[in-house]
Amino acid sequence: MFDTLGKGLSGLIRKLVTGTSIDKKSVEEILVELKKILLQSDVDTKLADELILKIRKKTLEEKIPAGLTLREYVLKVVYEELVALLGGKPSELTEKKRIMVVGLFGSGKTTSIGKLAKYFLKHNMRPVLIALDFYRPAAPEQLQQIGKQVGAQVYVHNKKDSFEAAETALKTFSKYDVLIFDTAGRNALDKQLAEELKKLAQVIKPDEVLLTIPADLGKVARVQAEEFHKLAGVTGVIITKMDGTAKAGGALAATSVTGAKVKFIGTGEHLDNFEVYNPTRFVSRLLGLGDLQTLLEKAKESELGPEKAQKLIEGKFTLQDFMEQIEAMGKMGPLQQVASMIPGLGGRIPEDLLQKQEEKMKRYKYIIQSMTKFERQNPDSIEGSRIKRIAKGSGCSETEVRELLNQYNQMKKMMKMFGGKAGLERGQLKNLAKQFGFKL
Amino acid sequence: MFGLFKKKLQKLVDNLSGKVEEKVEKPEEKIPEEIVAEKPQKTSLFKKIAEKVKKSVIEKTLTSEEVTEVLNDFENDLIEADVAVEVAEKIKLDLINALVGKTIKRGKLKETVDDSLRKSLLEILSVPKINLEEILAKKKPATLLFLGFNGAGKTTSLAKLAKFLMNGGHSCVFAAADTFRAASIEQLEEHAGRIGVQVIKHRYGADPAAVIYDAIEYAKAHGIDFVLADSAGRAHTNVNLMDQMKKIIRVDKPDLKILVIDSLTGNDAILQARMFNEVGVDAVIFTKVDVNEKGGAILSVTHELKKPILFIGLGQEYENVEQFNAENFVQNILS
Repeated sequence: MFDTLGKGLSGLIRKLVTGTSIDKKSVEEILVELKKILLQSDVDTKLADELILKIRKKTLEEKIPAGLTLREYVLKVVYEELVALLGGKPSELTEKKRIMVVGLFGSGKTTSIGKLAKYFLKHNMRPVLIALDFYRPAAPEQLQQIGKQVGAQVYVHNKKDSFEAAETALKTFSKYDVLIFDTAGRNALDKQLAEELKKLAQVIKPDEVLLTIPADLGKVARVQAEEFHKLAGVTGVIITKMDGTAKAGGALAATSVTGAKVKFIGTGEHLDNFEVYNPTRFVSRLLGLGDLQTLLEKAKESELGPEKAQKLIEGKFTLQDFMEQIEAMGKMGPLQQVASMIPGLGGRIPEDLLQKQEEKMKRYKYIIQSMTKFERQNPDSIEGSRIKRIAKGSGCSETEVRELLNQYNQMKKMMKMFGGKAGLERGQLKNLAKQFGFKL
Repeated sequence: MFGLFKKKLQKLVDNLSGKVEEKVEKPEEKIPEEIVAEKPQKTSLFKKIAEKVKKSVIEKTLTSEEVTEVLNDFENDLIEADVAVEVAEKIKLDLINALVGKTIKRGKLKETVDDSLRKSLLEILSVPKINLEEILAKKKPATLLFLGFNGAGKTTSLAKLAKFLMNGGHSCVFAAADTFRAASIEQLEEHAGRIGVQVIKHRYGADPAAVIYDAIEYAKAHGIDFVLADSAGRAHTNVNLMDQMKKIIRVDKPDLKILVIDSLTGNDAILQARMFNEVGVDAVIFTKVDVNEKGGAILSVTHELKKPILFIGLGQEYENVEQFNAENFVQNILS
């Protein structure tokens, strides 16, 4: 999540939280470091300077509120300014009728539209996806296949004329809840393509124009966003490809020049990898404070139930829970994502471990299914002959069964570590999280 | 292209020349008030240089202090132009080494800076050339594997390269080894239909290594020169997909692994290149160069990988490709 930016920042925050004391000099040092992190994360230079200036002003000139140490105060200001920078309050899209998705070549428009369709279907709204990209070979087919995957209607005009397609679609699908238009990827500075987009926007009269910005996009983000905004009036940003190492600094520039907010984040190539953007949560995740709210919500969505999620957090779980988790986590998204949402855990588990675990989980499921109820509730009882029987029953080797037990114990330990009494540092993080209104 | 880069460079040259030449020619003239107000931090430097210049009117030895200040600005400009921080640092250091302590004759400053920068950039861009004919001479069919992050432009680049090879009298076959993304196979087929190339495909979800294997067998049986294998876009952080790529390489033994990089990528480009290189990269294609005026990713990635640049993509049409020419690239930047 904003990966390097996140890692850099959480390192910085850890310094803030664990450092012995903070004087004005160290505030300056922190600001220098913060600027470097922002620049390396592709944040526009102007924007970075503005942010630093605000933070300096607040921390050094304003009075520290009673009850807060300077240290806590600096952290709070950094947090608040980042929230302000990363866009205001999140807004839902369920009121909108005509949505146009625009962006550079290969920025993830069509995939995002599939994810959007899923989002509307979840809100019991009937979307129709309209293909307007007749440049890139097989772009309409891509939309059709995605529509099929999510169960949404797709319209492809047979004459391959984007204007006629838009007009016909507006007439034909007026009874649908929401019309999503998939435009061709373009360089907004290309005169011909720019003109086409402008005219399309005039025909469609969209309620919402969403600009896709890949997380790894460099400094062109600002000028491109500016142009797209001039042409079609951008009202929201979708950050795509957040599953790489990229930092999405470009997206910040895009929101800053268009005044539009980030609305969604694409976190992977699967159509489930989509989140409604929430700056407060996002920043807290960024700062390594974790994102319990999203985790609990996701847990609900995947029928895990908040109690189970709480259990997961507290580290009280049996093999039975472990298996339910394996099943539920499949629905919650990649483990890595889940881990990044847990306070104090973000970025601390080796990525390798998570990925490998995910692959093994399938086999683990077979193993657990071959256990008796008693064994599932009393994992310690599984030894010798039980292992042999379980291995036979699940078609796995005994080594794998032992490995599962080890993994289970390891995971149990890990969960305990961040859930239970977790040392001074995490205790402080917990307090801070509370301060920002997160229930723990 | 690179309009901004040029501007920045000119600014640097002007700054440095200003320090030597203006003061040399009119050492008695006072610095106008507005300039002082605009660049207060530069004033003392100006004065210092002016004093020194009085001593040696014809020649000037640059000190580390004077050079560093200007070059720090330049480094920031490079970073702003999407050049990765470590590469920007290297360019700065090269320039400092080339300039500090040098006795420069009046009027030669621009030349000296130009030369130094040209050398530094050419050094970064000095990578072995690649010859597809040679690869073909060694092994027929030659298998070219395209890999990269999602949306980098792999399929379009593949089609462009096929067109280029066919114009050169070669035969090609496509392997539709992106079996994941919706309509990726149809996309490849449409390109193939336009260019006149056969596509070897399986179903979606099929093993990409097997698709490429079949395409190689097909090429062997039909005496085709090149197998061009498309692959699914993948995040370099996704261990499973990177392992899949390793398997493809192990099974199909491609003769050239071509990394496709979106030239619009920011600081992340260098990390993407590094992580894909752990799997294996033999050559690079930069795409969407027509959109980017700054070209920072090209410098960063080439500095990191030191791998040949097969070509650069400049648009959506098949003809929109250029062989990468380092001399021209640098000339473009510096002229």
